[in-house]
Amino acid sequence: MGTAQLKDVIIKPDAPSSLLLDKHADYIAAYGSKKDDYEYTLSEYLRMSGIYWGLTVMDLMGQLHRMNRQEIVDFIKACQHECGGISASIGHDPHLLYTLSAVQILCLYDSLDAIDVDKVVEYVKGLQQEDGSFAGDKWGEIDTRFSFCAVATLALLGKMDTINVDRAVEFVLSCMNFDGGFGCRPGSESHAGQIYCCTGFLSLTGQLHQLNADLLGWWLCERQLPSGGLNGRPEKLPDVCYSWWVLASLKIIGRIHWIDKAKLQRFILACQDEETGGFADRPGDMVDPFHTLFGVAGLSLLGDEAIKPVNPVLCMPEDVLQRVGLQPDLLS
Amino acid sequence: MLVPYFRVSSLYSLLFFFFWSLLRPYPVFLFTCKQISEGASPYTSAAMHGRVKVKTTAQQEEEKRKEREKKLKVYVAARDACFSKRKDGVFDDEALQLTQQLLSANPDFATLWNYRREILTHLETVKDEDEAQKIYEAELSFLESCLKVNPKSYGSWHHRGWVSARLPRSNWARELSLCDRCLSLDDRNFHCWDYRRMVVKMSSVPVKQELEFTDRLIGSNFSNYSSWHYRSTLLPLLHPGSPEPPPSRCGGDPPHSCSPPSPQTHFHRVCEEQLLKEYELVQNAFFTDPNDQSAWFYYRWLLGRAEREEMISCAYVSREQERVAVTFSRPVNAQSGSLLLVLDGQPQRVEWRSVHPHFKHSPVWISDLPPGTISDIANEHNLTVHWTEKHTHRDCALYTGRSESWCRDTATDLELFRSELSVEKTSVLQSELQSVNQLQELEPLNKWCLLTIILLMRALDPLGYEKETLAHFQTLKEVDSMRSAYYSDLCSKFMIENTILKMEYAEVRVFSISDRNLTTLCHLDQLLLVTHINLSSNQLRRLPPQFAMLQCLEVVEADNNSIENLEGVYHLPKLEEVSLKNNKISTLADLQPLASCPKLRRLDLRGNPVTQTANVESELAELLPSVADLLL
Repeated sequence: MGTAQLKDVIIKPDAPSSLLLDKHADYIAAYGSKKDDYEYTLSEYLRMSGIYWGLTVMDLMGQLHRMNRQEIVDFIKACQHECGGISASIGHDPHLLYTLSAVQILCLYDSLDAIDVDKVVEYVKGLQQEDGSFAGDKWGEIDTRFSFCAVATLALLGKMDTINVDRAVEFVLSCMNFDGGFGCRPGSESHAGQIYCCTGFLSLTGQLHQLNADLLGWWLCERQLPSGGLNGRPEKLPDVCYSWWVLASLKIIGRIHWIDKAKLQRFILACQDEETGGFADRPGDMVDPFHTLFGVAGLSLLGDEAIKPVNPVLCMPEDVLQRVGLQPDLLS
Repeated sequence: MLVPYFRVSSLYSLLFFFFWSLLRPYPVFLFTCKQISEGASPYTSAAMHGRVKVKTTAQQEEEKRKEREKKLKVYVAARDACFSKRKDGVFDDEALQLTQQLLSANPDFATLWNYRREILTHLETVKDEDEAQKIYEAELSFLESCLKVNPKSYGSWHHRGWVSARLPRSNWARELSLCDRCLSLDDRNFHCWDYRRMVVKMSSVPVKQELEFTDRLIGSNFSNYSSWHYRSTLLPLLHPGSPEPPPSRCGGDPPHSCSPPSPQTHFHRVCEEQLLKEYELVQNAFFTDPNDQSAWFYYRWLLGRAEREEMISCAYVSREQERVAVTFSRPVNAQSGSLLLVLDGQPQRVEWRSVHPHFKHSPVWISDLPPGTISDIANEHNLTVHWTEKHTHRDCALYTGRSESWCRDTATDLELFRSELSVEKTSVLQSELQSVNQLQELEPLNKWCLLTIILLMRALDPLGYEKETLAHFQTLKEVDSMRSAYYSDLCSKFMIENTILKMEYAEVRVFSISDRNLTTLCHLDQLLLVTHINLSSNQLRRLPPQFAMLQCLEVVEADNNSIENLEGVYHLPKLEEVSLKNNKISTLADLQPLASCPKLRRLDLRGNPVTQTANVESELAELLPSVADLLL
């Protein structure tokens, strides 16, 4: 049977150790122009989220003006379907994931009037099931991620009262596990991504007191590995995106100080690519906008003053949410 | 007999197939978007993970570029063909062919699974049951090949579930066998586990059988967190625990009959007999491999207990303040209309407020009685608070000559912070403690051992093991320094629990815990009745909003801490003296909350940066006019 090998990475001594914000801004600004790139095309199925990642990280770095606002707003308009839902790209089917991303983008740009908001609300409302859960789209996949997408979308639009919030809360709480964490559906294993969605959900619905914050906080702080990086669940490798899912969750439940900040910061910085700009999942790997956003957002949560403060519930700049008038609860 | 959609029916398909084979050798992991660490972000089943950056020459770069350009062309042509057919409402074999080729390489292209479902649904309407069965079984075969390549695609698993449910003649045994195989390759694949749970539900697989499945997995490999997790959901179904009602008593007065105990539960979700067996199972695991985390996480759960049922744990009334305070066992929203106050048989129209504007949900709620209702000390009164949501209530008798009264759920150490232990369980835990101590001697750097020893000591005898607990926390912070802030907070919590337990035996109105390295405050909802609190010589940074639950507080001593925030010293009606020597209070704004305490007459701020503020004396005289005794 042998002993469990502790999965982790080793940070090389020559790994980046300072924040290369300008390089990251250049990387993202150029990323949108890669329309003839193979991988870019293959990821078309998530384009709306890709745009949200790129724009949000640019805004956090104070570089949003370098992106093509009109083109993006027009693109979003073209992605709203008759049912009210929004798709990842033109020709693709609507889904809650991309509806949220689209609404987040329009909030960044203060352009919610570009879409039919009432129709969006109708679409979201229509996806709530009898047991309070949310399907991602009309094909019925249930996942607590979608509960988060639903309430986050409605919260940004100021229309949370259109769904059955109590039922929705009941469903999410039914996904709480022995370790204080949450999974996709009732009975699913705890996972940092799902935990982020559920704590975010409970924050937006004013139900954080239903958590066992001490137990969950312990599970979350145990995600930190000797390298300083965070994994998503026990016995997995660290990944910079967990600097967001885990860290934001800890912030929401008031226990971010249970992580060794200096060590995490060192790990995140080591995930930068000095040549190309951008962040990868772990040091030495290839970069992408997804990990770039969560690396920068993680650093913001850790208090880096070169980056705008980020809201841990919605992963958007705090100043945008102030404008929208949304201040989700956090445990102290 | 060829399944319809394998038949090549058009020249276009032939050509496409030819070009598609060019795509095939291209490493699939590049666009299957799979994470080694299985991030389930709310946005995607991954961006790119585990892709090492490899350096190449300029020539290699150019060759690669040409190759990718070719692949891109083929891909785009196929995608456009799909979209175009779908737009035209075409649901034929060619469409199945095209979507199949694209999804084999990119199973996260969700829209194509949708299109495929539309095609299959349409075919079902024009075929008979046997043909439909064949079509769906071929679909399952296709899905199996997809899952072999990428076992972590949400789209593939969801589609498989959709197909399985639509099979005219379902075969859940085959689905279960697929899960067995998939989990034998990777027993942490949560997609597969979730699919398995669906299959088990649809085909009513006995819980016992699934429990045995976890036995096999746990017995054969480590990294089995998923199996332990599954067990935690199965055990309460097969071996449910049972509730026990707690005793209650009323404080400070001659004994009288209290409200009957509500059906509150301090039990574990699993029955004791099974629980004790589980201890053995887990112990085998961590003795075989002391670094196998999952066993230690599971063990902590075994030592714990289920969440408390909602009930009113204390009702307090004061003649002087003409007010009632109620403590619940969990945070509630008493403004929902479910909290009713009855005085001498008469329902009272009162408004309830939580102790601090921060809290819409709170364990402590206050209401003011109409002036004159209970102020005459010559009168006896009977109060009842009803929590209609959970059909529970608590009575409180206010006798002649008494200025205040309370009634609370019995707070013996048996129930407050841990489960009551049977003789058998005590014996088992004691031998567990012995074993883990032995393991700890062999593995002095193993933090799981140290933490578990602490948890066992807490379960057995929190007060008796206090010294050892503190020593173990010290070691823990050295051995696992990344988490020292967690251990400091946890130790603080345990020391506060011990102080509360000691308080039960001595004096329920004095809470003193100094020089204990406290980094955080908790269980403040247990301190409603406290009049004197001493928190001096600790490492506290603030008196948080929850501190406002100490509604009876008269004296606060919190010298020699690092306090910079006094949010919780808020509307404390009886507070007269506050000592905050040698803290970190730096601005006048920090002292603002004190202005809400009407009886505050003595304030010691010596050794705080704020004393260096210009005109501090006159500023404070204005901010806190009732404070006659100010020490700077």
